[in-house]
Amino acid sequence: MRNILKGIKKRTNNLFIHIALIAICLFCILPIIGIGIISLKDLADIRRIPPVLFPCDTPTESFNISACRWSWEGYRLVFGLKSNPDSLLGFSLTGNIVSIYIYNTVLYATSTSLVVVFLAAASGYAFSRFRFRGHRALLTGILAITGVPFLTNLVGLYQMGITLRKLPFPIDDRIFLVLVYMGLFLPLSVWIAKGFFDAIPRDLEDAALIDGCSQFGALIRIIMPLALPGLIAIFLLTFVNVWNEFMAGYLLVAKNEYKPVMFGLYDFMGQNYMNIQVVAAACMVIAIPVVLMFLFFRNRFFSAMVEGSIKG
Amino acid sequence: MEQSLRRLQTQKLLQRMQARKLFQNSLPFWLILPTVLVILIVQVYPTIYTAWLSLQQRQPAGWIFVGLENFERLFRNSLFTESIGHTIVFLVSYVILTLVLGFFTAYLLSRKIRFVGLYLSLIFIPWVISTIISGLVFRLLVVPDYGILAGILENPSLFPPDGISVLTDAPPARLFGSFPFPPSFGMVLLIIVSIWRALPFTALLILASIQMVSQEVVESSRIDGANGWQIIRLIIIPIILPTLVVTIFNLILSGMNGVATIISLTSGGPGTSTQIVSYLLYSLGWGQIQFSQAAALGLIIAAINWLLILGTLRITKVEKG
Repeated sequence: MRNILKGIKKRTNNLFIHIALIAICLFCILPIIGIGIISLKDLADIRRIPPVLFPCDTPTESFNISACRWSWEGYRLVFGLKSNPDSLLGFSLTGNIVSIYIYNTVLYATSTSLVVVFLAAASGYAFSRFRFRGHRALLTGILAITGVPFLTNLVGLYQMGITLRKLPFPIDDRIFLVLVYMGLFLPLSVWIAKGFFDAIPRDLEDAALIDGCSQFGALIRIIMPLALPGLIAIFLLTFVNVWNEFMAGYLLVAKNEYKPVMFGLYDFMGQNYMNIQVVAAACMVIAIPVVLMFLFFRNRFFSAMVEGSIKG
Repeated sequence: MEQSLRRLQTQKLLQRMQARKLFQNSLPFWLILPTVLVILIVQVYPTIYTAWLSLQQRQPAGWIFVGLENFERLFRNSLFTESIGHTIVFLVSYVILTLVLGFFTAYLLSRKIRFVGLYLSLIFIPWVISTIISGLVFRLLVVPDYGILAGILENPSLFPPDGISVLTDAPPARLFGSFPFPPSFGMVLLIIVSIWRALPFTALLILASIQMVSQEVVESSRIDGANGWQIIRLIIIPIILPTLVVTIFNLILSGMNGVATIISLTSGGPGTSTQIVSYLLYSLGWGQIQFSQAAALGLIIAAINWLLILGTLRITKVEKG
């Protein structure tokens, strides 16, 4: 009897936990679903007063699923779909966001993440396997650097950028931007990498050395394959961070056609101020790739974030 | 003959070992060097450069040294004192609410229930949305007249007397002299957006550390008669305190840095009611082209940031590392 009571109590307890968690989930995803709905309405339905959530009402009914007036207008404007008989698929995408800015951002994010992974792996390995003078101080210093807000540095970086453009051999803004991104995301990545290397037992390496492998060979053949999941996590984390970064890309690049996608969105917002379905569609187009990437690799993201923040 | 050959061999071997030793001793240096260089160029040098700029002023001929005049001007600027007030309102409510909600979420997720992975994935989606998009998302929801939520909020029968228009309503009358409290609806929305975006990361960090709390300790205290609240207050929170401190650092830093959200959400308005110090820096530097003052403000923000971090360390008495 007591057991049955306990069971019932536990079940009601769990029910409350589920209800609370579902409420939190709704708080997290409803705004995005709301934007998804806005992006599919046409202007007449958006400008209705009072506003309606779904454009599905008829003069007689308040909700009728067969009468929904969904519209792809917003997405058509974002992609700038134009028929072009010369291109491979018979059409081409002329919207600035797709044809210029997403391309720029993919370029920046990929190159930054690759270099960050490489540098973080090298220094993370060194911090994990060697004890040298200033080891602790350097490691703490790298973390402490992140305590200075990026905005403070941005003032100096902006003036540095102006100086760089005036040099006799001007440095391309794009290279400067990638360098800034690297510096911005390296400290955390070094800590994540160190954590992943710490988790690989030293004995494996020693065994390889005894069997006649060189130090470098052991690094390449034994350690790197084991650390690969961690390095992929660093790559993904940096990629998403660069994709989402706004201030540096907006302020440090002079030419608009070299700016990343978050500036593209900001610019687009200014142009389509009154057409909120177009802005909503642009948000969806830019956010969906990283959301999908996150959902696909979520465990890698989680491990990197926990590694970088708690153990650091 | 044979002996000298052997000696030569040993010598060679010794040399090789020495070379290897030298290589091994300098290896960490070479591995770390590029990272340190990048960080010096992109993080350390700009800070020093900003500090230098804060003592200069732009003249047609170039930069000239003016001492602390930029700081003086900043302190005389009424917007600066006001933005400090907004920052306090913003940071205090944002950090505390995110921490409480994050702990609550993490605690629920740490119970042995089904669908934890699904919940965590859904809760985490706001983290992947960039600051500028998250500002935009909430802006579009409350845009006057057309936003989905604006229809409810502007209804005078639900919110007397005239309904709420989040992006345009003037801030309410201040209760404490010139301190901006109670906040405007724009500020409330900014706090909600910031919580929305920071909640996932906070909950994940706290969840990870709650899962490290040994189950035996919790069980044995339950047998000793501790109730749920006592377990949380006396066992879980003390054990995960270091993580909470790290989380607070992260929240303070992201709150101080979150200009993009304000730019896309309210652009500092209504009035100046969402201009926290970082937005003021942005508008001083890139709106009014007053880089020296922006640099001075940047240094002040960095100093405040460090004070907050040291203060948190002091209060919670947690040693870092």
